[in-house]
Amino acid sequence: MATSCPAGLDTRRLRDEVSFIYRRVAEDPHGDFHFHRGAHYATELLGYDATELAELPPESPASFAGVANPHAIARLQPGETVLDIGCGAGMDLLLAARRVGQSGRAIGVDMTPAMAERARASSQAMGLSNVEVRLGDALELPVDDESVDVVISNGVINLVPDKEKAYAEIFRVLKPGGRLQLGDIIVAHELSEAVRNNIDLWTG
Amino acid sequence: MNVVGAAGLTDVEVVAHFDCFQGTSKEHIARKYGVRGANLLAGRAR
Repeated sequence: MATSCPAGLDTRRLRDEVSFIYRRVAEDPHGDFHFHRGAHYATELLGYDATELAELPPESPASFAGVANPHAIARLQPGETVLDIGCGAGMDLLLAARRVGQSGRAIGVDMTPAMAERARASSQAMGLSNVEVRLGDALELPVDDESVDVVISNGVINLVPDKEKAYAEIFRVLKPGGRLQLGDIIVAHELSEAVRNNIDLWTG
Repeated sequence: MNVVGAAGLTDVEVVAHFDCFQGTSKEHIARKYGVRGANLLAGRAR
């Protein structure tokens, strides 16, 4: 699923680069990027429900840049607490909030202030009181131990250099019996050290 | 997959694949390295 962090990777530069790119996606989702964004992509290539997406504030799916569909793995249940790591502009987060209902909670964490702000604005526009967006990092989640029923994430963990730490954090916050519904990229072939050290390939 | 299990998560399974780079400027690189989107399910034991 994931490749461990190569010794020579400049992780600070990687983090800055990722943050820069996703701030651009938040501010100008129709700009020029190497990856797809938006509701049409989500429905056509990833199997999201177009009707459900049409019910969200358009700014949210416009900045969606996931790579898979965590909601297709298993149906979130009313009353569950869901954590979306790297929630971006909030498309998966808002879908989760609607599914868990008023008796549940949807917590989004994102390290990019522009994305977090967009997710907050969209949840407020929908009048959702069970959504909370926190600024934070996958390597140090601002979430209590054993407090989450389901962790979702979409296209984020592949951008985190220390995957061992990221998955340890997911384990920490999950309740016993909880589940991870992860959308991410997988690599079929073992990558060379040179490729793994190439930040342009990490970020596009 | 191994890193997910090493964290203590169990029943790790890839349940779907997605051609998320189809039609992008990086499609050829994705094909070269076999990069695809995937849905993965895992759990924390009770």
